[in-house]
Order: sequence, then structure tokens, then C-alpha cells
Amino acid sequence: MTQAPRPWTAFYGPGVRTDIDTPAYRNLADLIRSVAETYGKAPAFTCCLPNGMNGTLTFQQVDEMSDGLAAYLREVAGLNQGDRVALQMPNGLAFPIAAFGVFKAGCVLVNVNPLYTAQEMARQFEDSKPHALIIVDMFAGKIPAATRGHKIPTVIVSRVAEFLPALPRGIVGLVQKYWDRTVKPVDTPHIRLPAAIDAGRRQVTQGRVEVDAYHQSVRSDDVAVLQYTGGTTGVSKGAMLTHANLIVNMEQTMELIATHVRKGEEVALTALPMYHVFAFTMNLIGFYWLGARNILIPNPRPLVNLKRAFENYKITWMSGVNTLFNGLSNEIWFTDSPPRHLKFASAGGMALQSSVAGRWQEITGKPVLQGYGLTETSPVLTFEPMGKTRAGSIGVPVPSTYVICVDDDGNEVVQGEPGEIAAKGPQVMKGYWQKPEETENTMKNGWFLTGDIGVMEPDGYFRIVDRKKDMVLVSGFNVYPNDVEDVLAAHPGILEVAVIGVPDAAAGEAVKAFIVRADPGLTVEAVRAYCKEHMTAYKVPRRVEFRDTLPKSNIGKILRKDLRAEELAQIAAE
Amino acid sequence: MVGAFEQVLLALMIFVIMLGMGASLTPRDFYLALKRPYGLAIGVISQYGFMPLIGFLLITVLPLPDAVAVGVLIMSCMPGGTTSNIFTYFSKGNLALSVLMTVTSTIFGVVLIPLLLVVYANALDLEIPRGNIIVTLVLLLVPVALGMGLRKINANVGAVTEFMGSVLALFFIGFLLVSWVPRNWQFLMTTTPATYVAAIALGVFGIAIGYGFARALKLHPRNARTVALETGIQNGPLAIAIIAFTFTGTEAQSYVAVPALYALFIMIVATVVTLIFRRANTAAEQKLPDSLL
Repeated sequence: MTQAPRPWTAFYGPGVRTDIDTPAYRNLADLIRSVAETYGKAPAFTCCLPNGMNGTLTFQQVDEMSDGLAAYLREVAGLNQGDRVALQMPNGLAFPIAAFGVFKAGCVLVNVNPLYTAQEMARQFEDSKPHALIIVDMFAGKIPAATRGHKIPTVIVSRVAEFLPALPRGIVGLVQKYWDRTVKPVDTPHIRLPAAIDAGRRQVTQGRVEVDAYHQSVRSDDVAVLQYTGGTTGVSKGAMLTHANLIVNMEQTMELIATHVRKGEEVALTALPMYHVFAFTMNLIGFYWLGARNILIPNPRPLVNLKRAFENYKITWMSGVNTLFNGLSNEIWFTDSPPRHLKFASAGGMALQSSVAGRWQEITGKPVLQGYGLTETSPVLTFEPMGKTRAGSIGVPVPSTYVICVDDDGNEVVQGEPGEIAAKGPQVMKGYWQKPEETENTMKNGWFLTGDIGVMEPDGYFRIVDRKKDMVLVSGFNVYPNDVEDVLAAHPGILEVAVIGVPDAAAGEAVKAFIVRADPGLTVEAVRAYCKEHMTAYKVPRRVEFRDTLPKSNIGKILRKDLRAEELAQIAAE
Repeated sequence: MVGAFEQVLLALMIFVIMLGMGASLTPRDFYLALKRPYGLAIGVISQYGFMPLIGFLLITVLPLPDAVAVGVLIMSCMPGGTTSNIFTYFSKGNLALSVLMTVTSTIFGVVLIPLLLVVYANALDLEIPRGNIIVTLVLLLVPVALGMGLRKINANVGAVTEFMGSVLALFFIGFLLVSWVPRNWQFLMTTTPATYVAAIALGVFGIAIGYGFARALKLHPRNARTVALETGIQNGPLAIAIIAFTFTGTEAQSYVAVPALYALFIMIVATVVTLIFRRANTAAEQKLPDSLL
């Protein structure tokens, strides 16, 4: 594999840099401070709840409050540089404070999906061994079960309406406590986030500590985030994303749209959860860097939760996934009154269907730019240049990024032939956390193997053809058949099980389970109820089919590919 | 039936509730409803076309004393009131359309109500209390405009006002239901079954026919729900005021039977319908996978 030429740079547009190798900042803490100095009292983050209640923090406030948290983590909680801090929170004003505080403390952030079951949390905690956990009160009840294997000494609890003005915060609190019943008293010893920030800020204002000293020696190639993914092999592991990975990847992507956005003037909508790598890099870090006002939506379900945000703010840029764009295109309040100030939308996480992109453009008059990448690549590898969108394509590689298609032996295929997408660039992770052999499996001669089969068009645009492995992609979230099968197989009424992904209009792919019953009375409902108890909702098989036997190889291995072929043939027949 | 103090209290409650309703709206909502006045036109036709017809058919079919029959007719010719706006809000209907329908039907009412009563009752000469109509409009439009203004100035103030308004609205509905029965116990006991049927059927048929008509003309379900509630829920207090203005003594007492009964049962009917509409609305919402937290 040689360093291929980059025909795609022709699409970048005038003045766009073709190479962005080194980050403009030493580390993320540096970026946070420097951006805050530029934009000061301008609004940085606004959390908008479904009923329109909201709270805003300025760049300066975010800077000062994250300083406070950093000082708390280092001085009071006693963490050291490189220690891990798990963050398990939906979008809200507490998220940037927490994430930025961790970077400023010189610590490593571990993003945890708030919807994880205690079991799934436990697995991630045992692997990453965090020293502190910052969690939203709604899910704090899972802490005791989740920390049985690895005790977390410091627990900081936040809430959805954190840092909103007192009256709305109080109302939301009362509604959550007495009406929704989503918040219960937290039994685990903990400190509240505002109290932790105050404690840290006292240290800072009394001149006892210098927050900048915490990250003075954090280099750009030090790990900033452990972003968990099943990767291409299914074993859950933490991708080590460095400060350089994240800063550069954000800049690489921003560069392609630089001429269409104005620093300090955009209003961006973040409806996707920021614990996901796509929103983490592009929305949390990218919009902040851009000096944009970032409108955070704690929960976009149901979609009408976005209505007030669209009405109350002049949103110029939003990011989403196929499911979100499709959903909005079918909501009357959105189609009746599409955002008037929108310049464009960006999509990632899962394949954007051409029909969805087309309908979106029809309604809003503005394009959806699709990007492609993986957790391991921070995540953006390719992006559609503004004004040069192409149906069904994932765009062109971002600056300083080399993308080729290779065969099973690692040799580049003839242009136009499908092959596994391999990538090289400053955004490719340092490796998997404490899993050198897994790292070796995906990194070949300096190329990261994505496990996706793609095709390069003559001019350098790429298309995704298929996925190499069995992984199922439900709305941008990886589901590993092994994972789901393991849980199902433990059910006494189930004899054998095979799980595959099937095409799904709404989610891109849906999980389907083929089950051979041990108990003939077992119903589909019972299977799904059992799954809901034991796994995160997106992993729960949308479809369940009972069979008498499952196709197997001659050594008894269940053949998922045969089931998939059957399923696809059936769909084709319909 | 209600004292002056209670009337002021009720007016005050309605003012606060409508302030909250207004805080849920933007000028754009009204602009959109006016830009395509199709829905509004359907609403007005439904309001003044179908409702009086339903009222007329009911008094033709049911064995009602004359005085009660007049009450049914007057009730069926009424415009929509603030109650319909509140129920539209809770049904997740198009509140801007609902408010516009109420305003339009109330203004048209000045001419249309006497005209319709002449058509259906041949020579009923009613006095339309214009002062009352103006009060209705003021009590609707002023707080709605103020609420929209509050939201424009500060989204949080708007959201809190809306929250308070909706909590008060729930209390208001509950209060009217609970306080009505003991206050009118004697009246309930002496009313004939046919009168009950007329009072209940007016609202039920109004909502059902309003919805069917709007859907048949391809209105979006959200707007059809609005038309349905607006058609079926009449301005009860206005009917009572008209009767009080026009008639006196025992005559007024028997005329007012249907509007009074209607006021009670429409609350119950509308609550049930609202629950059904909310369920339909939830079912129609776009489903997002759980992964999108």
C-alpha cells in the first residue's frame, strides 16, 4: 500500500487547505481557554427543554466553571494527570462544563451512553477504571450495580436542568420528581456538580491553585478521550482519541465548510447526544471552536421536543442522522414552518438515504452534507463539500486524509472495484485502550481498516457498498450480534439463536433474532420484554422469528450470512 | 347562577389561562393559519352550517318543551369560546387556528346568530349583547397577545407562563366539573331525559361531524381535531348572557336549562375527546430509535 494521490482535493474549493496535520492548539484545554478569551460574554451553550424553558452559559462562564470542576477533580478528589473520568449525561449545560473540566484537569474523558444498563456500564467501568464518575441524577440509581466490579471513588451528580434559572429549574425538578417520576433520591455517596464547581472555584479564586498547570504538560498526542465502540470485531473497547485527533479532525471538517460559516455568528442545533463521537467532535468541540451558540436538546424524542428550539432560535446549522432528518420531514409543525435561517445540515452516524436528503432539501431549501467515519477516526474521514453533494455518496476525504479501497490481502483494488476502506490521517486513533492485539488487527502498515466495503469513483468521491462484518448499525449505533445472542441464549425458553441486521426504513438497520424455542409457549412479546430488561433499547431485536432449525456450517457454526441472504431474498421478492 | 364575585374570579382565571396559551404561540403560527385560510373557512362553515342544523334536527326529533327547544337552538348557534382553545391546546391541536376560529365565529356571530335563529325558529327576535361579545374577544385576544409578547421578550418567562396557565386550566376544568353538580342538584333532578339527550348530543355530534367534515376535505388531522373541538364546544356563557338579556323570570329559567346542562356535559365530553386526540397525536408522531436518547 502506497501513499495514493488525492484527486479529491480538486473539490475542496478555493482557499481551502489540503493539509491540516498539526493541531493549532497544544491540547483541548488550551483550545477551550483560547476560544473563551476570544468570545467572552457571547452565549456559548443554550439548553432548550421541550417546553421552551432554557438556560444559557457564555464562553466566559463555561471557561470559569470548567476551571472550578478541574480544580475540584485535582485538589479535592485527588485525581492525577491521565486519570480517567467517566461522563454519563444527556445533552445539557452540565455536559460541556464536565467534559471541559476533565480536559483542563489533564484527565482522560470516558464517554458513557446514559441509557446503558447497569451491566453494560459495569463492563465499561471495569475496562476503563475511571477514578471519578459524573452522572445525571436520572440514571444514578444504576450506580451500585454498575460499580460492583470497579469501585469509583468520586461520584458527581448533575441534572437535566442544571444551570437553568432557578424558577424553570425548580419546575423541571418538580415535574421530574412527581409527575414523570424519572428522578429518585441518589443513595450513593456523591457531591452535586454545582457544589463541586464551587469547591474548586474557591481554590482558584483564593489563588491556591493554577488550573493551567494541570494541563501544562499534556501533549497533543496524549489521550484525551476513551470512546467506547465494539469496533469491527465486536468486543467492546475504548478507542484512544488524542487531543490532536479531536482538534485536527474538527478542523479538517470545518475547513471544507469554512467559506459558508462565520465565526462567532452561527446558531447551531445539537439534537444528537454528545456522548456519541460524531456530536462530541463536531458539535461540542467544533461549534464551540466556531464561536457558535450551541442549542442543546436533552432529549429529541418525541421530535416535537425540538419545536420550541426551532421557534425560539435562529438556527443556522444543525447536525443529525438519517432518522432525525426523516422524522422531521414527516412532522407537520416542521414542514409547515421550516427553519428560515438554516444554511445547511450535516449528517453522519449512519448512511443518509438519498430520498431523505432529497425531501429535506425540498422542505428547507438547504442541503444535507453527509460525512463518513468511525469512532476510531475521531470520527470524520470523508465529507461532502458544500454545493457538491452527490446522491448516495459519502463525499471526499477531508484534508490530510488518505483513503483507499483494499482487498483481503491488503492490496489496493483497481479503481472502481469494491474493497475494504482503509484510511490514514492525523485523526486516526492511537489504538485501543489496553488491547494491543485488537489494535494490531485493525491497523495494517499504518492504515486503519474500517471494515466497510466502499468504492472510489474516478474523481475521488467515495460510496459505501456494504459492511464487512456482521455488525448491525441501528441509527448510528453499533449492535453486535454476539452481544444480543449472548443475552438471548441465557433465556431458559430459548434453545438456539442467531441475530442479524435487516434493512429498516426508519433506523437504517434493525436487529432481527431467529430463535429455536425450547419452550413452545414462548411468545415474541416475552422475548422482547426479556431483552428490554437486559440490554439497552436500541439493541433489542425489532423483529423476532421462531424457527425449527437454524442454518449451520458442518462444524456447527450458525451461519448468519445464510439467514441474511434469505431475508434479503424475501425482501427482494416483496 | 353565579355571583358577581365568582364571575370576576372566573374571568381572571380565564385571563391567566389565555396568557399561558398565548405564550405557547408565535406570530408565525397565526401567519401560517391565515396564509392558508382553507382550515379557517372549513371551521366557520362547520360552526355555523352544521351546528345549528344539528340543533334543529335534535329539537325536531326529541320530545322537548318549547322553551327547552329554544335553548337548544340558541346554544347551537353560538360561536366557539375560550374553552375550545383550552381543549385544543391540551389535544395538541393547532391553537392558532383555534383562536382565529373563535375570533372569526364570534365576530360573524353578531350578524349570523340572529339570522340563523330567524331561519330555524322563524321569528325569534333576540337581543345580541354586544358588550358581552366585546368582553369575550378582549378576554381572548388581550391575554393571548400579552402571552406571545412575554415569550418574545424572554422564552423562559413565556415557558413558565405557559406552564402556570396550563396547570390553572386543568384546575379550572376540574373546578367547573366538581362545583357544577352540587350547585345545580335540584335542577339536575327535575330535568327530563330528552333535555339531557339534547344537551349531550349537541356537543358529541358537533365534535364528530366537525372532525368528519374537516377530514373529508383533507385537512391535516391536527387541524381537523381543532375544527372538531371548535365546532362542538360552544360559548356557553354567551348563550346564557343572551338569554338573560332577552328574557326574564321563569321564562329565562327554562330557556337556560340546555345551555347550563350543555356547559356541564361538554366539559366531560371534551375531556374524553381530548384524551382520545392526544393518543392519536402520540401515535402519529415520528418514532425515533431509543439510541437517539
